[in-house]
Amino acid sequence: MWLKRLFAGSREREVIKLFKEHLNSVKLSCEAFAKAIETDDKTLLNEVCELEKAGDAIRREIALKLYEGAFLPVMRGTLYKLAETVDEILDTLEDVAIDYVRLVSLDSDVRELCVKVANLNIKMSVNLMEAFEALGGKADPSDKTIKIRVREREVDAIKHEIYRKLIKKEVSNFWEGKILSDFIDNLVKVSDIIEDAADLIQILNVSLR
Amino acid sequence: MLAAIAAMLIAFSIGSNDTSNAFGVSIGSGVLTFRRAILLLGIFVTFGALTQRKVMHTVGSLASLNTALIAIALFTSAFVIVFSNWRGFPVSSHQAIVGSLVGAGVAVGSAKLDLLSSIVISWIASPITALFIAILIYSALERILSKVPLFLAERVISMMLLFSGAVIAYNTGANELATALGPVVSSGHLNATIAALLGSASLFAGAVLLSGRVVETVGKGITPLDAFSGFSAQMAAGLTVFAFTLLGMPVSTTYCIIGSVAGVGMLKGLTSVRLHLIKKIMASWVITPAFSFTVCFLIGLLMGY
Repeated sequence: MWLKRLFAGSREREVIKLFKEHLNSVKLSCEAFAKAIETDDKTLLNEVCELEKAGDAIRREIALKLYEGAFLPVMRGTLYKLAETVDEILDTLEDVAIDYVRLVSLDSDVRELCVKVANLNIKMSVNLMEAFEALGGKADPSDKTIKIRVREREVDAIKHEIYRKLIKKEVSNFWEGKILSDFIDNLVKVSDIIEDAADLIQILNVSLR
Repeated sequence: MLAAIAAMLIAFSIGSNDTSNAFGVSIGSGVLTFRRAILLLGIFVTFGALTQRKVMHTVGSLASLNTALIAIALFTSAFVIVFSNWRGFPVSSHQAIVGSLVGAGVAVGSAKLDLLSSIVISWIASPITALFIAILIYSALERILSKVPLFLAERVISMMLLFSGAVIAYNTGANELATALGPVVSSGHLNATIAALLGSASLFAGAVLLSGRVVETVGKGITPLDAFSGFSAQMAAGLTVFAFTLLGMPVSTTYCIIGSVAGVGMLKGLTSVRLHLIKKIMASWVITPAFSFTVCFLIGLLMGY
């Protein structure tokens, strides 16, 4: 059985499959959120919460497979850290979704900028999937991780624009302001965490060289 | 009978000392568990001992000794190997055995010193050869693996570690164990095939019971090896010992693996090699044959030969 594992790498294949599912959940969650904010249909946000729950289960399964002996030990720590980081993206997307449901109002000009961020998050999540898939293929993951870094900078620029607009906005009470602030913070944090995950993929790529 | 028992004792000691050479890196990098490593060791050692006879012949013809002196030489070697293993140092069983046989041979005036000088040259040449081969393998693989996707590289390295471990296990039977069995077979105490089977069984028992500590020293102690460096070091040592085995020279896998680990360490910057540990091991390389030679030489003289 252990010879089969060694030569066929079935446990490794299972972990790779789980990672792909995990990353696909991030993409679906980003898409569901972008659609919800674009159409202001808050019912779509249920899907974000469901994907977060599924993501937790996938992370646990990845951890189990790694500790059962998938991959060389030198890679296991980084792989698990990647699973945790991907899970954190899903957690943050759920936080954004909950903040959005609680929001009293969102000015159209700010909403427009938030939609831009949400769409950039979708593109980054696709790049993240491609970067991970490149670890098992011929393409260089660096091309994808560079794209992620460039897009993260774009998100940063939009974030400053959003804050400039928000500073001028009147809020009726503390909680309205807090929820709005949390919503924006969490929305832009998604791209930061995607960038962290991309860095881990880059580290993995050089870990055996 | 005593000589055969002493040879089996050495085989047992080789098992306790040399599992580290074959699978120390694989165990250290998590490719194999200790139990699986020992099982593989047993299989490949037996295969090596049954298929190669040149080293057995070389060591057997190093000196013409009677049964008592062969037994004394082999018991002295066994003591040195077990003692070093107990202290946690990788020791060369070849040096102990050759030192003992030559010591006794000089005492009775039957040692073949020209053959001894060829063996000593092999002892010096083999770790240096392993060092350069390790550098070559590492450099070549670095270039090749940088073009291979990560997940494929990981699989390849895992399999290569296992393959190089198997080569070293084969050498352990074909060279290391053959060195211990050589005097017993050449003096006609045991048939070569029976000696190979009994020796392999004793070696396996030694690996099961006593090899844990040295596995730690070689696998992780000399330089912190990743799986890629581990393979380069191990494969270089395996190829070197195999080449010397074909020439009939009893060379130490321990020497070669330390040479190749140092080679990989040099390539990665000398700071990653624990030089104090290398010095300690080199001291044991001088002390081992000198001690074995002196003891057997004195006993040979005292016994009035």
